[in-house]
Amino acid sequence: MNFLDEWSAFWRLFYTNGGYKRVFSEGLKNTLTIAILGLVIGILIGTLIAAIKVMPKYKTLPKILNGVCNVYVGFFRGTPIVVQLLLAYYVLFPLMGVSIGSLRTCILIFGLNSAAYVSEIMRAGIQSVDSGQMEAGRALGLGFTPTMMKIVVPQAIKNILPTLGNEFIALIKDTSVVSFVAAVDLYKVFTEIGNANYEYLAPYLMMALIYIVLIMMVTLLFKLLEKRLHRDDRA
Amino acid sequence: MSNQNEMNKELTEELIVIKGLSKSFPIGKKKTLNVLNSIDAVIHRGEKIAVIGPSGSGKSTFLRCLNCMEDPTGGSIIFNGEDLADPKVDINKHREHIGMVFQQFNLFNNKTVLQNIMLAPIYLKTKKAGGLFAKRAVKKQIREEAKEKAMQLLRRIGLEDKANAYPSTLSGGQKQRIAIIRALAMEPEVMLFDEPTSALDPEMVGEVLDLIRQLANEGMTMVIVTHEMGFAREVADRVLFMDGGIIAEDAPPHELFSNPKLPRTQEFLSKVL
Ligand SMILES: Nc1ncnc2c1ncn2[C@@H]1O[C@H](COP(=O)(O)OP(=O)(O)O)[C@@H](O)[C@H]1O
Ligand SMILES: [Mg+2]
Repeated sequence: MNFLDEWSAFWRLFYTNGGYKRVFSEGLKNTLTIAILGLVIGILIGTLIAAIKVMPKYKTLPKILNGVCNVYVGFFRGTPIVVQLLLAYYVLFPLMGVSIGSLRTCILIFGLNSAAYVSEIMRAGIQSVDSGQMEAGRALGLGFTPTMMKIVVPQAIKNILPTLGNEFIALIKDTSVVSFVAAVDLYKVFTEIGNANYEYLAPYLMMALIYIVLIMMVTLLFKLLEKRLHRDDRA
Repeated sequence: MSNQNEMNKELTEELIVIKGLSKSFPIGKKKTLNVLNSIDAVIHRGEKIAVIGPSGSGKSTFLRCLNCMEDPTGGSIIFNGEDLADPKVDINKHREHIGMVFQQFNLFNNKTVLQNIMLAPIYLKTKKAGGLFAKRAVKKQIREEAKEKAMQLLRRIGLEDKANAYPSTLSGGQKQRIAIIRALAMEPEVMLFDEPTSALDPEMVGEVLDLIRQLANEGMTMVIVTHEMGFAREVADRVLFMDGGIIAEDAPPHELFSNPKLPRTQEFLSKVL
């Protein structure tokens, strides 16, 4: 009974009083914005890092770039994302005199963080593509970069799509820490709903439900994408 | 090429001059494996050269050094007035003129047959016309010309109906013939073949050799590593027998096959013929 009372109190706040509007217009929107743009930035920078890592290493420049990438990946994988957010928002950006707001800070840090993980995923993907593909491109006179972009990376992405899907899901869930730097996500909105009468059970259950549905949808999306990309495999 | 004099004259123009070509691979710490030991050779324009020899003798490495798929560790390879073994030379520019065909075909799996053939010509011509900044009309023209050329080549091998198929749907013989015309689409000055029929089912060897024979008859310069001794004897102007990282014997096919000079050539031929 107690729970039902609590639930109806929550429902009043959530539905009748229009609290859900904020859940969607701010919470869900920011959560998705951070996760999606984070993944996009992550894939772009991560692919670049992966390409540098698989470059032939007898010249100086690739060696230096490789070292830089190692430090980068080491830092972003070696520290919690909350620490990175706090450092950027409260220390680094103020010191540098830039203020890009908390949402953009989150997008940037999630992107940079994701790039470190995607680079490892992508490197494995690139290495899973038969080396003959790169050789054939190079033998035709194409450079390393165009062969990478047109031939190897598209095949690598196909191979790593399930793992990229996992990365996206992890990213969505990790966004629940962005309120540390004053950004408003699902967690923040539901906490505020709970704050209204100090009852948190129902709001947080609702929040969990939204996360689950969201992640089921993402899973489905990646399954469909995979099917589509694997069309040219079959006879 | 019907005129014998004309043919002989043609074979005197030096296309690739190889001097002291060496290649070693690092194995473990501080140790190296010498695979090519100071090879000298000249490839004349229009010449067809077959490379034979026991497994591990360095045939593939030799071929792959010619377009720097393996970077030579010593010596020089003069092609069009530049030394390909010099790391400062823009190798991509030269590779456009050196076609290569692999044992494993290596068609681009994510591209259709037509895209496989058009990709490099379109990319490289567009790049020369200014890349992203090339005029729309120019890009369009490059694409149309490349497509026309590709379809013409596909018709030549009777596979125009496969233009939009993906490589995974093709037979080995079809893949290799497409790999060959993909190289031809660049209008190379010389073609390198590394055991082009070794990965094929026996019934498909013929169709691939037929195509290579056609190219030979049209006067294409080619270096072909092969175990098809009959084909080498029939098509080659010269046969190189490699053993232990050197060209042990270099002679016209009738001489090398009927009358090998070195005992190790005799021994090898007795095993494969
Ligand atoms: N990338 C490489 N790294 C180390 N050793 C290699 C490499 N490629 C070839 N080799 C070695 O070089 C020798 C010659 O190889 P290869 O040129 O492929 O011979 P062939 O084509 O005549 O069979 C072999 O002993 C082989 O193991
Ligand atoms: Mg070989």
